[in-house]
Amino acid sequence: MTESLAPGTTPSPPGLRQLFTGMLMVALSAFGGGLSAWSQRIIVEQRHWMSNEEFLTGLTVARLFPGPNQINMAVYVGTFFRGLPGALAALAGMLLVPFILLMGIGLLYFQFHTLPALDRVLAGVVAAAAGMALSMGFKILDQYWKDPMALLLAAVTFVLMTVFHVRLVPLVLVAGPLAMAWYWPRPPHPPAPQGGRR
Amino acid sequence: MPAVLIAAASAATSCTPMRLNDLGHLLQVMGTFLGLSLFSLGGGNTLLTEYHHLSVEQYCWLRPSQFADVYALAEAAPGPSSMIVGLLGMGAGWPEGPGWALLTAYGAEIAILLPSTLLMVVACLSWNRLRDSPWRLAFERGLGPITLGILFAVGVKILKTADTNAAGVVVSLLVCVLMLRTRISPLWFMAVAGGLGAFGLINR
Repeated sequence: MTESLAPGTTPSPPGLRQLFTGMLMVALSAFGGGLSAWSQRIIVEQRHWMSNEEFLTGLTVARLFPGPNQINMAVYVGTFFRGLPGALAALAGMLLVPFILLMGIGLLYFQFHTLPALDRVLAGVVAAAAGMALSMGFKILDQYWKDPMALLLAAVTFVLMTVFHVRLVPLVLVAGPLAMAWYWPRPPHPPAPQGGRR
Repeated sequence: MPAVLIAAASAATSCTPMRLNDLGHLLQVMGTFLGLSLFSLGGGNTLLTEYHHLSVEQYCWLRPSQFADVYALAEAAPGPSSMIVGLLGMGAGWPEGPGWALLTAYGAEIAILLPSTLLMVVACLSWNRLRDSPWRLAFERGLGPITLGILFAVGVKILKTADTNAAGVVVSLLVCVLMLRTRISPLWFMAVAGGLGAFGLINR
């Protein structure tokens, strides 16, 4: 591992307490956004815990598996050095301050949301938040633009959920395996039957 | 908005709360989120329609407008926006008092994170074997388009739930475009829109 690090860095792997404080730093630095950029800056550039390549592998795993990306990333960093205890320490560091803050906001909200003045402000904030929610699909649309099958799958999924109110869990359990069969990696020189196999 | 959307939104308001003792309520909330954890594709946002269904339509933890508020608060607050589950749990426990609301909030957040965290740990430890597996490639390519479809459904659902006046919908669409075309922090959009709401230009 040492040879992958820049000269003059400390290659000793972080302990549980360091994982906790490191992710706490990431969470505090990222107030206002840019969580993954901050975790890269702190974990790779400042503390030299990981090479950039190892960090990017973590992003890949974090995005692939279920769970919020940044939280999965903390789990990856923790597991990388200390297994399950490391994962829990990193997760606790990541979530401690933001979650306590959110709980404070939540208590204030549920106590005071019936005040007309607060409700008026929230009506506006909600309109902006709805715009943010609407942009999520468009953000990843580009990468599927040249794949008609992907667009068809996305469109069918959208219609089933929005028009026919199909619930998420059965939808994923049925459509997921079908889509996986279609996209199953083909061997280099297949005898070319159409469609997916398996 | 299209008539379909309005009809769907108004159909979603009938729901009778369950009578449960405190501990039963907590366990029910935790069980609900434990079961959903592994379906949080695409960074967790795919679960928002399901959160809406459970907390507004099935268990009456929140009214539709409260769900929209809670979503906006989770987006505005620092930290991962998936912490909305904590706020849903808080809403579920609120009728039994603030202390119980906090406990339910922590329970809900732990429940939604636990299964995906354990799977993530296993995935990290066996990544060298998983990396080139056909299962991994098929999962990544196959679930991507489904996630795309779900995210669009989520966007429409949140827009319906926000249920603001025409000015509010225009602001929503404008924010959507600005989110895609600029790198302005979304906090600015929420601050400006909150101001418009305070002056009564956006209402619901």
